[in-house]
Amino acid sequence: MLRRLVRRCATAVLTLLLVTLLVFGLTHLVPGDPLTGESADPGVRPLTRDRLEQLRTLYRLDRPVPVQYGLWLGDLLRGDLGTSFSDGRPVLEKMTERLGVTLLLNALSLGLMVLLAVPLGTLAALRPGSRLDRWTGGLTYALYALPVFWAGLLLQIAFSVRLGWLPLFGLASEGAAGLGAAARLADRAAHLVLPVICLGYGGLAYLSRFVRANLLDNALIESGRAARARGLSELAVLVRHGFAQAAVPMLTLAGFLLPALVGGSVIVETIFAIPGLGMLFVEAVLDRDIPVLMGVTLLGSSATLAGILAADLLYAVADPRVRRGEVA
Amino acid sequence: MRESALPRGLAAGLWLMGGLVVAAVTAPLLATDLPWIERGPDGLGSPALRGYLGLGPDRAGGVAERVVLRAPIPYHPARQDFDAHLEAPSGRHWLGTDGLGRDLAARTLHGARVSLVVGLLAALLALAVGLPLGALAGYAGGWWDAAVSRLVETMLCFPTLLLALAILATGWQAWLPDVLRIGLVLGLTGWIPVTRYLRAEFLKLRGSDLLAAARATGAGHLRIVLRHLLPSALAPVLVTAAFAVAGAIVLEAALSFLGLGVAEPTATWGRLLREARDHVDRAWWLALFPGIALFLTVLTCNLIGEGVRDLLDPRSRR
Repeated sequence: MLRRLVRRCATAVLTLLLVTLLVFGLTHLVPGDPLTGESADPGVRPLTRDRLEQLRTLYRLDRPVPVQYGLWLGDLLRGDLGTSFSDGRPVLEKMTERLGVTLLLNALSLGLMVLLAVPLGTLAALRPGSRLDRWTGGLTYALYALPVFWAGLLLQIAFSVRLGWLPLFGLASEGAAGLGAAARLADRAAHLVLPVICLGYGGLAYLSRFVRANLLDNALIESGRAARARGLSELAVLVRHGFAQAAVPMLTLAGFLLPALVGGSVIVETIFAIPGLGMLFVEAVLDRDIPVLMGVTLLGSSATLAGILAADLLYAVADPRVRRGEVA
Repeated sequence: MRESALPRGLAAGLWLMGGLVVAAVTAPLLATDLPWIERGPDGLGSPALRGYLGLGPDRAGGVAERVVLRAPIPYHPARQDFDAHLEAPSGRHWLGTDGLGRDLAARTLHGARVSLVVGLLAALLALAVGLPLGALAGYAGGWWDAAVSRLVETMLCFPTLLLALAILATGWQAWLPDVLRIGLVLGLTGWIPVTRYLRAEFLKLRGSDLLAAARATGAGHLRIVLRHLLPSALAPVLVTAAFAVAGAIVLEAALSFLGLGVAEPTATWGRLLREARDHVDRAWWLALFPGIALFLTVLTCNLIGEGVRDLLDPRSRR
């Protein structure tokens, strides 16, 4: 058991190293270097030769690539992600000031996803083929094919423009700073409703189908039926048999949902003009701000890696069969 | 359901895809400001068809009285008309017009071309990269498998959109035509599922009699892989390819939506939705129709992928 955990962690470290290699290679093993090439913004003047040389030295682009990688990795270990091309500020600083909003958005979406997906999937699995099952099946199928940026636009049109219930974009209304704490909180919450829905519905669809399939594979139907026959209420069946059995396999999936969430953040933050990491990333792409690109990509991928690892470890601890080494 | 019939979902998916391909191919004929049939000095002619086939000069802006028959959507997708700025859907403009007075029906129809080409290109590339890697890992095993598996595990940590955006930002492929460039980047980020599935299939087949029999006939490794293993494993891989097309189409639209896709003035669904954002408070049609096209296309690919999977594996048909 312990040996397996140690081995799993060792692989994760190796993968992390490969992740850094890929992030570095992606931006440095290409013809030219990050400072050459046209800017996407036609208003930007090309650099003079002297300035270019100066910048090359500053960003160590004059050294051989493997040396650059080693130095970059050393900086990483010291928590130094370099400085932004566009304004010369430390990348880490730029990222930390944007991190909070993105984390909040993701945590809310993930929470909503799990809270809704488990009951939905369980209810569908309890009576396969029922009207409820068919409806949720069709709905999740459609949601799964629904592109986020379209859904976001439609929600904006419906709830902000037509009904006027929710703000169109941003994080706070004008003059919200002068409100009381409760009003400010309500204002922030109203601004977060649509982004959270947009970020979460894809995962919700996926997760609820997953829960259903998983419960159908397991003997939930039988145990649930037996429990109902014993006179347990529908809710008790749901909680004791649904949640309990769905929780473990869902853990493994949560890790794999993270990349979709990170990718979704980029789009959702763009639609709703939310100044988070996703927006920072898009700005960096448009400015060809390679250090920021590397920083955000690295953060997104390491978070995913950590999520997958945590899920694996929890899975090993939570499933008695795995714990006893009966199944891999 | 009759045994011989295709599953309903698959049949619907194939019909929709067929319609989509026809629409994409004939878009320049269906939505054009060139007349279909025009009475010229030397009899009847078809400027639209000539333009489509690239024959001779277009006779755009021909005299109205000479026109015998117009295209069903008689507007060029890039033709601006400031008198028809942000018009709601009507008999004149079926799906309305955008902020520059361009006809949304024509633009949406033309958008299918980019989506389909990029989607197919990316899927083909994903197969070209993913199949050899998956075969190598699943057949050779050992160090090869370990190396490919680590690579796949690493790639799985990257959100595809981030990866695609980062590759585009480095700009080394900027010299390629836009459609090729986007297709290439999406292919480079889309091969992972193909590799994973083929590897898993090969691992299953490795212990089977199929392999032992092929070995016994004295077949070489390449022959075994190409003639014996690949055909048995291809079906599930094609299923992933169908999903790869869907994924690439959504990602292409996402890139265009973020302003990093195919350049102006080409109409793509993602760009149309990006433009819809600017008028979100007054022109709902700009957001609705291109989105429906995109949504239906993705749904179509998913229907086909799932239909094929169900056809192959009846157990998953629950």
